Amino acid sequence: MKQTDNIGGQQFLEMFAAATDWLEKSAPDIDALNVFPVPDGDTGTNMLLTMKSTIEHGFQNENDNASSVALSMANGALMGARGNSGVILSQFWAGLAQGLDNKESIDGRDFAAALEKASVVAYKGVSNPVEGTMLTVLKDASKSASLTAANGKGDLLSVLESTVSAASESVANTPTLLPVLREAGVVDSGGQGLFTILDGALRYLRGESELMQFRKPQIIASNVATTPITIVSHAKTEHEDEIPFGYCTEFLLKGKDLDPEKIKKHLLKKGQSLIVVGDDTTVRVHIHTLDPGEIFSYATSMGTIHSVSARNMDEQHQDYLEKQKNRAVPVKTSIVSIAAGEGLAKVFASLGVAAVVAGGQTMNPSTKDILMGVERAPSDNVIILPNNKNIVLAAQQVPALTEKNICVIPTVNVPQGVAALLAYDYEADMETNCEIMAEATKAVSSIEVTHSVRSCKIGGLDIKKKQAIGLLNGAIVAVQDAAKDVLYDVLEKAPLDKAEIITVYYGEDTEETEAEICGNEIREKYPHLQVEVVNGGQPHYNYIVSIE
Amino acid sequence: MTVKIVTDTLSDIPDDVANKLGITLIPLTVSFGHESFLDRIEITSEEFYERLVREETIPTTTQPSPLTFANAYKNLAEESDEILVITLSGKLSGTYQSALNAKNSVNGICRIEVMDSQKIIMSFGLAVIAAAKMANAGAGIDEIITRTNARLENSQLVAYFDTLKYLAKGGRVGKAQGFVGSLLSVKPILTIKDGEMAPLTRVRSKAAGIDYLCNAVAATDNIESVGVEYCTTPEDAELLIERISSIVPRENIYKSIVCPVVGTYSGPGGLAVSIMQKPL
Repeated sequence: MKQTDNIGGQQFLEMFAAATDWLEKSAPDIDALNVFPVPDGDTGTNMLLTMKSTIEHGFQNENDNASSVALSMANGALMGARGNSGVILSQFWAGLAQGLDNKESIDGRDFAAALEKASVVAYKGVSNPVEGTMLTVLKDASKSASLTAANGKGDLLSVLESTVSAASESVANTPTLLPVLREAGVVDSGGQGLFTILDGALRYLRGESELMQFRKPQIIASNVATTPITIVSHAKTEHEDEIPFGYCTEFLLKGKDLDPEKIKKHLLKKGQSLIVVGDDTTVRVHIHTLDPGEIFSYATSMGTIHSVSARNMDEQHQDYLEKQKNRAVPVKTSIVSIAAGEGLAKVFASLGVAAVVAGGQTMNPSTKDILMGVERAPSDNVIILPNNKNIVLAAQQVPALTEKNICVIPTVNVPQGVAALLAYDYEADMETNCEIMAEATKAVSSIEVTHSVRSCKIGGLDIKKKQAIGLLNGAIVAVQDAAKDVLYDVLEKAPLDKAEIITVYYGEDTEETEAEICGNEIREKYPHLQVEVVNGGQPHYNYIVSIE
Repeated sequence: MTVKIVTDTLSDIPDDVANKLGITLIPLTVSFGHESFLDRIEITSEEFYERLVREETIPTTTQPSPLTFANAYKNLAEESDEILVITLSGKLSGTYQSALNAKNSVNGICRIEVMDSQKIIMSFGLAVIAAAKMANAGAGIDEIITRTNARLENSQLVAYFDTLKYLAKGGRVGKAQGFVGSLLSVKPILTIKDGEMAPLTRVRSKAAGIDYLCNAVAATDNIESVGVEYCTTPEDAELLIERISSIVPRENIYKSIVCPVVGTYSGPGGLAVSIMQKPL
């Protein structure tokens, strides 16, 4: 049985050697996640090469003294660091070694303290730390480790378990913090890499080495909706700024009396993603620059440069795009939906549509707008959900204008659109899906609450201008001064006895608090119903309600 | 001599059925943090779900060791010359590998055949039950293998998850990724495809989920047997059984509890039907 409370230097080394093997299995998957700071698809590989150098240097030290071994590993990390993520990882090791200074062996408390140090050092190494990256994952993991150690669970296994579980949650949270991840629908690659290393260490400590041969590290799923989504809007034309990425420039500078801080200051304006780390004899520099020559001549004025590399990131980015194209899972059918309001667009996106075309009651998208959404959808079969009776016709023009195979489900409102979308069957072909989805729209009733634009008499109702009116399945059935009162009136008339779920989408002119109160009143009045209140952000309609 | 049938506890074959038919069930190990339990022997399914809901840690499952299989083979070899082992999908667990390694380690004690069912829970459990019935009726191992393959090929699994929380927490969402992060509360309907979990559709309520499961049974011809499984709500399973018993005779419906491996992802409230057609 392996020691899991307290380990010596050699076991510490073996633990991270196992973690490196674990990372190796996942490196291509981590490469594929890479979108920040430059989508060049090499984070996993860079971290792996850095870890390999870390371990190789570690193995040259046969001492069982933990602090001595950690120091050798940190040196190896600095020597072999490659890429942005690799250099940050080397700082993780530098900090860990500092934190383990004078430690003969390592228990949970020592490890937690060293992680804390590692987090501080890693943050310091980066000239402009960004949250939602490996740094955040390290910080969150170290916090959890310290908390566990402080709560009296001082054995290494307990601390490492809490470290890994916090790292996993933190990775899942990265898209919340970093918009570029959210847009790409991925978690941070460097964070994922760090999680994989820690997870590998934990598995080794648990004695799962053998099992690790059959398994593969898991890629953490994002905890926010990560469907990559195109929003087609007729208000603006799409234009992507083409800024070149330049060269990923790296080297090791050796000399006397070097000052990393001074070097960092000098290079700060010469490029992006600058990292300068090391001591007075060895400094590692990493920078994304358009002019590597300038950087090299500055460095050679202070000492000798080693392990020099300048990789063309635009070329790497192209390769990456090609690779992504090949990796993209071909979908048989995708869905394009029309929706007004950011909230509704998000709802549709979270339910898996390929594109949302902006538009609604008074801002009907043109056939061309819808066509653009269709052309961008990643499949030859496309289902369109117009979600408004004034848009159905425009949508029905699309099939004649494209070579793609189109089916329009004539949904006349948002509740019908959502019901159709939910009924989508992943295994069925397009034709069957059109039937299933059209059928599903029949099972939902809808209520819309809006304001009258003029005074009129409809269906025995005397409506004054600007009064709130309520429609049940498209017909005006209630009028009141306040929108929420109209909603209650219409609910009275709605077929609720067989209903199970009421979803209230409140519009941009409606306060969230009013919507919540509304939701609570409905829950009280109809206790057999499950009521959900969602920010739809739609214009004109105070409330759109679906009854299922 | 009767062919001996061996499977793992992931088949979700109830103990009384296994005892009656002489099926050997090899337990997987379920772990919560430091504590490990042999599935069904040291932890009941009820206890498992109770802890799953109560605790923050995600439980893990480990395949049986080759030694466990080897010991079972040795015991059975005293009574028979032929052993057929049917395991859950090799893509989801190392159980198949373990069973195979054990076969090599006891080389020559008798004929041992190991099958990777490519399925989980009762969608292969039903095939194991059918295999045991054939064995007890005197069928030879080759005939049983052919029939079992035919059964597995067309077996269907339709599972309803009452929550997405555990699927997201476990991280192994795979193709069901699109279901996580929905801004509306939706409940996924999943199946197993090519040995892995895959999405079928979504519903918004348990009642709609139960309808979907019933319809899946109603839409299948030539049914031999059906497995109805629940995680924490036996009353839902009873309701399902009552509704499908007009299509499938009650004695061909097996009720069971969803094992911890799938339960870790479904969380409480999940339901599943497995449908096995008669082999042609």
